[in-house]
Amino acid sequence: MTLTDSLQQRSQADRPVKRVKAPSGGRNRRVREAASGYAFLLPSLVLLGLFLFLPLVWALFLSFQKTDGFGTNTWVGLANYRRLLSDPVFWRSTVNTALFTVIVVPVSMALGLGAAVLMNTVLPARGLFRTVIVLPMVISGVATALIGVLVFDQNNGIANKFLGAVGLDGVPWQSTGFGAFTSVVLVTLWWRIGFNMIIYLAGLQGISPDLYESAKLEGAGGWQQFRYITWPMVGPSTFFLMIMNVIYSFQVFDLVFVLTKGGPGNSTSVLVTYAYDNGFGDARDQGYAAAIGMFLLVVTSVFTVIQWRASRTRDLVD
Amino acid sequence: MQLNRRQVLRSAGALSVGATLAACGFTKSADTAASGSGGAGTGDLTFTTWGTDSELAGFNTAIAAFEKANPGAKVALNAVPFQQMFSNIDAQLQANQAPDVFRVDYDNLGTYAGRGQLLDLTGKIDATAGDAFTDAMWQAVQYDGKPYGMPHHTDTSAILYNKAAFTAAGITSVPTTVETAWTWEEFEAVAVKLQKSLPAKQYPFAYNWQGQGVTRWLSWLFQADGRFLTEDLTAPAIDSDAGRAAIDFTKSFFTKKYVPQNSSMKSSTYASDLFFSETVAMVFGGAFLLPDAAKLAKFEWGATYSPRNKRGGGDLGGNALVATAGTQRGDVAAKFLQFMTQQQTMKDFCVTASLLPTRKDLITSGLAFAARPELSPIFLGQATTVQPSDAKQVASKNMAKINTVIGDQLEQAFIGGQSTEDTIAGLTAGIKTALAQ
Repeated sequence: MTLTDSLQQRSQADRPVKRVKAPSGGRNRRVREAASGYAFLLPSLVLLGLFLFLPLVWALFLSFQKTDGFGTNTWVGLANYRRLLSDPVFWRSTVNTALFTVIVVPVSMALGLGAAVLMNTVLPARGLFRTVIVLPMVISGVATALIGVLVFDQNNGIANKFLGAVGLDGVPWQSTGFGAFTSVVLVTLWWRIGFNMIIYLAGLQGISPDLYESAKLEGAGGWQQFRYITWPMVGPSTFFLMIMNVIYSFQVFDLVFVLTKGGPGNSTSVLVTYAYDNGFGDARDQGYAAAIGMFLLVVTSVFTVIQWRASRTRDLVD
Repeated sequence: MQLNRRQVLRSAGALSVGATLAACGFTKSADTAASGSGGAGTGDLTFTTWGTDSELAGFNTAIAAFEKANPGAKVALNAVPFQQMFSNIDAQLQANQAPDVFRVDYDNLGTYAGRGQLLDLTGKIDATAGDAFTDAMWQAVQYDGKPYGMPHHTDTSAILYNKAAFTAAGITSVPTTVETAWTWEEFEAVAVKLQKSLPAKQYPFAYNWQGQGVTRWLSWLFQADGRFLTEDLTAPAIDSDAGRAAIDFTKSFFTKKYVPQNSSMKSSTYASDLFFSETVAMVFGGAFLLPDAAKLAKFEWGATYSPRNKRGGGDLGGNALVATAGTQRGDVAAKFLQFMTQQQTMKDFCVTASLLPTRKDLITSGLAFAARPELSPIFLGQATTVQPSDAKQVASKNMAKINTVIGDQLEQAFIGGQSTEDTIAGLTAGIKTALAQ
């Protein structure tokens, strides 16, 4: 058989099978089946519509309005968006959110992967270690932040007591921007590593031991095995975690709200805490808060699209 | 009856949609129809508040007395956490599901009254009802010359001090009358003495402006005989010598390290906790702190008056009780508000909850708190430094927004190194914007 014959045969095989004419009443059956399908979908669609799409559209409308917190709204067009451009606290919050994302996402993923690699080996008492690392995941964000307050209290916190015990000066965790930002990052890392580790661990356990065996036979060292087998093989996990972590970082709220309230000054203010302060604080400016929310939605969507387009093949491992 | 697969699916779908809508409040359940504020005719009054255990116990006792005195009247108390109180009330007002009566601090009263959310009590309470209260407290519930609430109780900050720390620093006496309270200079001298004698990482004092306490900074402005709004409440008035003096003095608490650096307005550490942990030797706090201090401070402590400068001054703490504009039971609500501020009801509540009365007769006759009764006169005396003109500014329409401006600007001054002039300019511009909204 020539190559052309072979290709022709393949192309015929790929052609869809000619649809057999449906017996009488088939159309009704298809409609009924479709209706059943939609009936199954309905509860989810109703919930999504009510709690996701409706508030989203509502927030968009709200962002074009001046609000007083009691439902007396006036249409102001793009005024809230123009105010964003000239609001230094908004830009400070944007920079803080971006900085938080740039630090937390790679560091928490690297530590999560490191922990997963360790837990995937024959580490003694690894069940205990796994539990310890995953434990913060089951604690709510507010409780985690309250633990953070106890640890990073500048005067009586555990961190400064520990530093004092080893002869070091305490860190001004609450009265300097750098200290406060660092405390938020550290608490976040403690909270997020467990989730990253779990996902990476699942990825690692899906890698065939044959690959490592072959690599060893070829003389690959530990680093080479990690670099050329582990890292590419956990690609889908990395892709998934990247999206999840970036979205989480852009939406960070509870930890900052409880741990630093955005202070000192505005040094730890992030977009969601700033939106909350505007919408539900004394200002009761829900229109402006909605405009901040819309900005956040656009940024997160753009990032997700770029990431998805750049890495659309990353969820497939050969 | 036999059901086929499709019938089961259809029924399940219909049920789930119904349940979802009911859960979301799109359909009114029998319960809410009977007890919600929209359902007139049952006579039940809904009352939303936050409160400590002792405050809630005080409310329950008062409600039982009201129900006994008014056969047929029922009051349903709904206690919510303070953090969610006003976002809940705002949402309920927007949805026409607000309670008939709620508790509100004086800073927020003007916000609700100025936006038509509260019931004007003119004609619903005795015309002379206001005579029972101090001028400042009656002023605090007025908006546009009309009463929109009843001043239920007040509270103002005095100083709690650690006796051992004072002895160690050689401070042997503290002011015993409001007239002889420390001047700012004397207060600073006390702080310097403490600073010299205290070990490292302990500080002379902490001020209670964290959390929702931003308004408490105004005590310093009032002590300097300053104002933040003009007489007619239409323009900022902080750009004054008094404004500069108050900012300079309070800024120096941080630059001279009289207070811990983590005790600024946005700090998550409360001043009282710094006192209980002996990180500071003095703390500014209201009478409501006494029960906690009696339990948590494991050392000997006393109390004295807040400092004075050109005059004495204090913060307008405490809360009013208000009825909502949309209530169907305005007359019962007004009756309830009057009952809650009667002499005996107020006295019982204030004694139990360690709060200050707003009635002249109770201030004259005095009362003794359950915790540390001997300190009651200090807090009662401190409350007399609040003047009607102070109360009028604090209860103005845009106070809540002005609070945000004060908090942001002073945080920059205390922690961010912002100069006094820049702070005055920032406050003036911010207050102007808040007034225009």
